[in-house]
Amino acid sequence: MLWLSEHMLFASLLFTSLSGVVALSGRSLLFHKLSQVSLAVSGVLGLIASFKIFLAPETGLQILLEFAEFFPVFQLDLFGAIFFSLVSLVSVLCAVYAGSYLRSYQETYHLPSLNALVAAFVLGMQIVILSQTPLAFMTGWEVMSIASFFLVMSDRSQDSIRAALLYLIMTHLGAAAILAGFLFLAQGSLFTDFSTLASMARIVPSWVLWTCFGLFFFGFGSKAGLVPFHVWLPEAHPAAPSHISAFMSGVMLKVSIYGFLRVLLFILPPIGTSASLIILGFGLLSALFGVLYAVVDRDFKRTLAFSSIENIGLIFTMIGVAFFASSVGLVGLYEVAIVASVFFAISHAIFKTGLFLVSGVVVRAVHSRNLEKMGGLAKPLPAFSVFFCVLALAAASLPPFGSFFGEWMFFQGLLQNVSSTSVLVSAVLIFTFALVVLVGGLAIFAMVKLFALSMLAEPRSAHAREVHELPSSGELFSVGVCALAIFALGLYAPTVLTLIGGGAMTASPRELSVGSATIQPSLILWLLLGSVVLVWVGRRLTSRVKHEREYHGWDCGQPIDASMEYTATAFSAPIRFFFRLILRTKKQIATQPVVASNPWIVSHTSTLNMRSIWMDFGYVPVGRFLLGVAEQVKKVQSGNIRFYLFLIFATIILTLWIAL
Amino acid sequence: MIMVITLIIQVVLVLLIAPFVSGLVVWFKARFQGRQGASPLLVYYALLTTLKKEHVISASRSWVFRLVPFMVLGVAVFLALTLPLVFSDSGISQVDLFVLAGVLALSSVFLVLGGLDAATAFGGMGASREMTLAALIEPAVLTTFAAFATVAESTSVQEIFGQGMSAWSHPALLLSFGALILITLAENARYPIDNPATHLELTMVHEAMVLEYSGPYLAMLEYASSIKLTVFLLILGNLVWAKPEGAFDPMTIGLAVGGVLATVVVGSFALGLLESSIAKMRFFRMQEYMSIAFFLALFGLILTLVV
Repeated sequence: MLWLSEHMLFASLLFTSLSGVVALSGRSLLFHKLSQVSLAVSGVLGLIASFKIFLAPETGLQILLEFAEFFPVFQLDLFGAIFFSLVSLVSVLCAVYAGSYLRSYQETYHLPSLNALVAAFVLGMQIVILSQTPLAFMTGWEVMSIASFFLVMSDRSQDSIRAALLYLIMTHLGAAAILAGFLFLAQGSLFTDFSTLASMARIVPSWVLWTCFGLFFFGFGSKAGLVPFHVWLPEAHPAAPSHISAFMSGVMLKVSIYGFLRVLLFILPPIGTSASLIILGFGLLSALFGVLYAVVDRDFKRTLAFSSIENIGLIFTMIGVAFFASSVGLVGLYEVAIVASVFFAISHAIFKTGLFLVSGVVVRAVHSRNLEKMGGLAKPLPAFSVFFCVLALAAASLPPFGSFFGEWMFFQGLLQNVSSTSVLVSAVLIFTFALVVLVGGLAIFAMVKLFALSMLAEPRSAHAREVHELPSSGELFSVGVCALAIFALGLYAPTVLTLIGGGAMTASPRELSVGSATIQPSLILWLLLGSVVLVWVGRRLTSRVKHEREYHGWDCGQPIDASMEYTATAFSAPIRFFFRLILRTKKQIATQPVVASNPWIVSHTSTLNMRSIWMDFGYVPVGRFLLGVAEQVKKVQSGNIRFYLFLIFATIILTLWIAL
Repeated sequence: MIMVITLIIQVVLVLLIAPFVSGLVVWFKARFQGRQGASPLLVYYALLTTLKKEHVISASRSWVFRLVPFMVLGVAVFLALTLPLVFSDSGISQVDLFVLAGVLALSSVFLVLGGLDAATAFGGMGASREMTLAALIEPAVLTTFAAFATVAESTSVQEIFGQGMSAWSHPALLLSFGALILITLAENARYPIDNPATHLELTMVHEAMVLEYSGPYLAMLEYASSIKLTVFLLILGNLVWAKPEGAFDPMTIGLAVGGVLATVVVGSFALGLLESSIAKMRFFRMQEYMSIAFFLALFGLILTLVV
């Protein structure tokens, strides 16, 4: 027992590995269950270990010290513990969820390999967070990337394989960039640790720093799903099984934010104004495009994926503002923005995990990811829909949930520094504020669409009408815990901030404070609840409760059915129209006469093409160019053996010339 | 103690006069249009009658449908409780502009959910439109509030709307004040955003969403929109003339209550005049209105920094 408490982290990693080994032992459901139990135990141990650090931040936990010759290879400090606790929490929830969720998909997925890959995926993320050296970091990163690549195509359909290959390319370009960044900074040596790297970074010339910054930004940004490197994300998230999407969106994106912040905060020297403006610009771009596509998309899981891009964009915006503030000397804003970004990342991990877990149940019930085929699920799944409602409201950053207070801190920080003496600072902060509030408004739209179109009104398809697969207790538990956690994160925001080292942002144990502004989350909650209860009592006193009868909705004189309801496409039509210059959706209505002689009897076909301008104007031309170049290169392969021998000879000469 | 008394006076007063304000707007409109007009007190009678009626509930609804009236009216009561509407220091100082904007959005969200849950084409149409308006007015709301907060050097609603800061004393706020008027019209479903008087499908937004509600629930939703209108008129009034200062005695209370009544009468008059003199905008031109509101708010914010 004593050994366990001292080596909690090691035990956590061990149980994660054990989960993988157990999963591979056989196809029986028993091994599946044991594997999930082991993963859950690993998560619980990880949570305890992280909390030990939250409570005593100065004592970082180190593991495998006896094997480390010169410096700690694996170490958990306070900053890592924040993200380690997220990985652990999501592992527990996904393990509980997967225990029953995957039983419905025994035919589709190969459970042993799926579970083993999940274990490898989690292990990779744990190693990334724990590692203190570039080598360990990259090893964990690759394990995470490769495992998630296989997980994306676990249903082995054509679409999934395509999505997975796109993901593989993007993630490896990113990993290569990060590796190059580390090597460049360490002047070719892999066997350094982060603190040595930091001291080396202080003496290298500025062009090296700029190159490294660019490489890291691309590497971590592409993994996090920053526009325009995001193209893999809306394909990969929907293709993966839902609890894997929860892992990928809930924590894998956070791990890349962790990596980016680790590099910026602990390794690179303070970046300048222009570098921080680059981060800020890409963050705002991602937030805007992410939310617009989230509003107009009709696929349940793609909407969530785009919403993740938006949230990641917001987090990068906060990071950009933080470093911008520090480069122009606004220390207060720097602290607020960096704490807000971490706090928002925590809330995003919770609500997005919850929403992807929700998507699993919904998609299984309706047998489709298409929002147009959903509807009416709140009646067969009442408790589930309550949790979903809470998570959707939290994802829209509405009070009194955790995400609202993350944005609140950020807005307060912006506003209190907006009247700066420098025009540049004022302009940047106002521009950021204006765009972030625009994104915030649209995010509400996206989340309302997601919840209302899937849960409310009459079912729009036969599958939605007869729901056979009700959520099991394990699935309900995981979704419910997410809903409860995001609620508690709002209510106990000051406590959480104190734990994660943002104690400067709390005025008292119950109050958040940024500069001159203080807010008490619990007071807001009680006032809201009190008002609603007051209304409830008033209604009881003034009118009879039982005085009601049930009847069909107002039907204009002919029976209404689900085909007359608003669809997801119709619901988001105004936004599609208002933002048509950005979205560039292609709408075509073709009219074909049914009877040649009569111009009035015609059949209409309407197509609405949601294009991705990044694919159409960015990736597709580049891909075509590369294929074209490859065509040209192919001409070299004439089939003439003497020419090939010449090529080999030339290569040897060239190599020798370079090497000597 | 005084704080509790002022709070009670404020809540009771605002909740009491809210139906009167709605009635007054309709009455002023009728007079402007050359009609006799129903008594402004008719709304009380209508609300009480609706409250006693049998409630017909749609067979397609889920639990959300029943929650909506409570949330929407709850938020309206929250507004009446927390904002400094009657006295300069009534309300809750902890509530700030972002909470206010968030709570307003929360109320819109629930209205939209209620509109969609009824499963009729009307409800969906109203919901889609309302959600678009709410999503696009949100940036204007927050930016306008930011301008006020910059001038007041605080984000607490009490210090912004209660402490006698007016568009006259701070000319830099004129643009933001204009934006706030546009926001008031949009948030309360008035001309030129929405036509509160008709049930014509081309024009309606708010009425389409509450179409399936009847009986007590309808009364609650109508009452909530009255309260919201009253609250917004009082906030605008706060920015035009200052609240009476002085010790807490019958004199101050009388002045404050008189000020509130004068504000709502003038506000209803102005609203009636506006609604009789302009036409409703086509819905698909609404982005122009929203852009004007947003950029007005943005320039207002810049102006407060420059001046």
